[in-house]
Amino acid sequence: MARAVTPQRKALNTAIAALIGALIFFPIFWTVLTSFKTETQAIADPPVWFAFDWTLENYTAVNQRSDYLLHFWNSVVISVGSTLLGLMIAVPAAWAMAFVPGRRTKDILMWMLSTKMLPSVGVLVPIYLLFRQLGLLDTRMGLVIVLTLINLPIIIWMLYTYFREIPGEILEAARMDGASLREEVTHVLLPMAVPGMASTVLLNIILAWNEAFWTLNLTAAKAAPLTAFIASYSSPEGLFYAKLSAASTMAIAPILIMGWFSQKQLVRGLTFGAVK
Amino acid sequence: MATTHARAAARLMISPSVILLLGWMLIPLGMTLYFSVLRYNLLMPGDNPFVGIENYQYFLTDPAFTAALINTLALVVGVLAVTIIGGTLLALLLDQPMWATGIWRILVIAPFFVMPTVSALVWKNMFMNPVNGLFAHLFKSLGLAPFDFLAQAPLFSIIWIVSWQWLPFATLILLTAMQSLDREQIEAAEMDGAGALSRFRHITIPHLGRAATVVVLIETIFLLSVFAEILVTTNGGPGNASTNLTYLVYAESLLRFDVGMGSAGGVVAIILANIVAIFLMRAIGKNLDA
Amino acid sequence: MGQITLKKVRKAFGDVEVIPPLDLQINDGEFVVFVGPSGCGKSTLLRLIAGLEDVSSGEIEIDGRPSAELPPAKRGLAMVFQSYALYPHMSVRKNIAFPMKMAKISQDEQNRRIEAAASALNLTEYLDRKPGQLSGGQRQRVAIGRAIVREPAAFLFDEPLSNLDAALRVGMRLEISELHKRLATTMIYVTHDQIEAMTMADKIVVLRAGRIEQVGAPLELYENPRNIFVAGFIGSPRMNFIEGPEAARHNAHTIGIRPEHIDVSATEGDWQGRIGVAEHLGSDTYFHIHDTGLAETVTVRASGEVTLRHGETVFLTPQAEKIHRFDNEGLKQ
Repeated sequence: MARAVTPQRKALNTAIAALIGALIFFPIFWTVLTSFKTETQAIADPPVWFAFDWTLENYTAVNQRSDYLLHFWNSVVISVGSTLLGLMIAVPAAWAMAFVPGRRTKDILMWMLSTKMLPSVGVLVPIYLLFRQLGLLDTRMGLVIVLTLINLPIIIWMLYTYFREIPGEILEAARMDGASLREEVTHVLLPMAVPGMASTVLLNIILAWNEAFWTLNLTAAKAAPLTAFIASYSSPEGLFYAKLSAASTMAIAPILIMGWFSQKQLVRGLTFGAVK
Repeated sequence: MATTHARAAARLMISPSVILLLGWMLIPLGMTLYFSVLRYNLLMPGDNPFVGIENYQYFLTDPAFTAALINTLALVVGVLAVTIIGGTLLALLLDQPMWATGIWRILVIAPFFVMPTVSALVWKNMFMNPVNGLFAHLFKSLGLAPFDFLAQAPLFSIIWIVSWQWLPFATLILLTAMQSLDREQIEAAEMDGAGALSRFRHITIPHLGRAATVVVLIETIFLLSVFAEILVTTNGGPGNASTNLTYLVYAESLLRFDVGMGSAGGVVAIILANIVAIFLMRAIGKNLDA
Repeated sequence: MGQITLKKVRKAFGDVEVIPPLDLQINDGEFVVFVGPSGCGKSTLLRLIAGLEDVSSGEIEIDGRPSAELPPAKRGLAMVFQSYALYPHMSVRKNIAFPMKMAKISQDEQNRRIEAAASALNLTEYLDRKPGQLSGGQRQRVAIGRAIVREPAAFLFDEPLSNLDAALRVGMRLEISELHKRLATTMIYVTHDQIEAMTMADKIVVLRAGRIEQVGAPLELYENPRNIFVAGFIGSPRMNFIEGPEAARHNAHTIGIRPEHIDVSATEGDWQGRIGVAEHLGSDTYFHIHDTGLAETVTVRASGEVTLRHGETVFLTPQAEKIHRFDNEGLKQ
């Protein structure tokens, strides 16, 4: 609608949005701010805003306590590993269903989705026992397997909706132009599918990074990713707000940045393409 | 394009996914069902005799189950109410003409990317702590007595935390839906003499209906399984005041090591989730044809 | 070379036979148009020739070589798709080069052919743009360019003009016809628009429900349709069909007379009616005549501007030698 909006009206809207945005974002802001305070300043009453001695000591302290880098690395391995593994399994399936749809394709897709509805807690006991039997408890491998399986339906669905937007005629044109199946995939399909695949990867890494049921229940000291590591801060040992904040800031910063880049795909991925 | 050769290749390409998901679904599910009819506790070695529906009887008649069921429902309904209403208002706001919309939108959706353990601990310690939390400071400066949120209103506090995490999701999806609304429809309604309020009531709300349904259903799936937030804040307490079904099954299985009972609880959780899932699948399935 | 022979070609999707066994001969250098209403199987037939669909049975020979089992790329054909199917991530130059790259043609030869095609199609200044930055007509030309550089045995066109607006359509129609004159390569062209068929084709194949109703030169089909379907499909406005006593008078179940073969008069004639809608095109005037007692409406074409108004009574006289007679199965007598 190309109708004029008065600047006053626009300013009012902006002010309200800024206020509400700031309120909602405040806990994250406060966490980041606190991570640069000393423990005493962190619990000062009244709270200190900016006039404090900015320090990085909490970040050093967190890294010393219980090997923060190990847990960070665990998070990276588990989220990236499960995403790549999932992608390897999902790309052929999504490709086939999008470009060679059969009578059963829709049923298969719906069934895959339905496995996502299975509540994790319903299979907690057998997975726990199986993992204990197989020596997969508290291993990164074990978590990669579980998270791959959990997020596989989402990956397949997202890829499927992206692939379906690639017109079939373009692939046929490539075939007419003499491209072999491999050339068709590398020269035409992949370049066109890369943006969709990138968003799929991004969203899936975010989901895996923040997964907090299996990571808490299947790991202990060794393979615990950041979700489980941060949980260890739930039993307080003296003054720890600033350190909790530093650990939290490091845990959420990478994903927050990735998340902001994937806003649009987020909607599509989490609604299985029902809302675009 | 659909040549016979392509079909065979397609089947081959789909099968790994199907086999894996089938295994992931059937094997643990079968084991859960099997364990749920055994007397099986990891702390008591020996035989695991078949006991029929005994575990179910114990689980369903346990007062903790009733409490957990009520808490689960309260948690789901509470969070849904906050996020749907708040999300609609926020989406409506962000859809208005303004400067730097992108920045405000980024601020609003940020909580979604915060891992559950972090958000729960930040709220628990830095805001809700009765001594050092910001709320305590705020109450004191207003001359009120500090309030121990997690001890005195544990379920409310958890609803608060979880709502903060899910508000962005509802907002983002409703906003996307709102922006896909055909402007010509609104203009047509305007030509037909509909005022701003009746345009919202008769055009925008029905248009958002589908997106809102999707939000409700997907959030419900996730909210039935809220776990980490409870684990790091209240441990389900005090008593059972903030225990939901997921947490109860976890406690039976991995704290009390009662495999049989935990499995029976797991089956109950699956049944509950399936009831929701059926509706969700219908909503999404319809979209597939379009 | 580009001689294509279909022998007992049949296509079924599951239990549904969309093309019953069909024979067709397409000669080298011919411009053949497959025309028919939507769902008649014309696109499927084209895709069978292209190799994008498998034949259920039968043989397709291209220049005498059995090709029904060959993959599309090995048949030496080029296709222009309805949606143009340009590769959106490649520049125009790369789009045109793609089939040559696949065929491992030397870089020099590729450049030579690209330049030639681009200048023939007025694309030279757009070679470095992406398809997304081009207009519909330009995209169409790129698609044709991509087909030309392969130097195929035959070009296949699948409703290539249906996404263009009316004015561009006429222009592209001429360009494709000129291209055919210049290259003298076999072209097979699918359309549902009988005007495209009439204006472009050397040979028209009229299809209905997967069956060939008639094959022939445009004027042959116009003057001598084999049955009611072809008679009604070819020609615009549509032929008038009259049944009953008037048809019986001509010893037929149905007679057909084209709007341009009926003379109009305000005073006398064989048939009498009342003018409904009159469409004035300047060069011609179409009258839709009611209450003739013959058919619901009889359409008549008069040359130039005729001063007859809505509601007036008119008299019509069919040109006797132009009356088509059909039997009760719709076949020409």
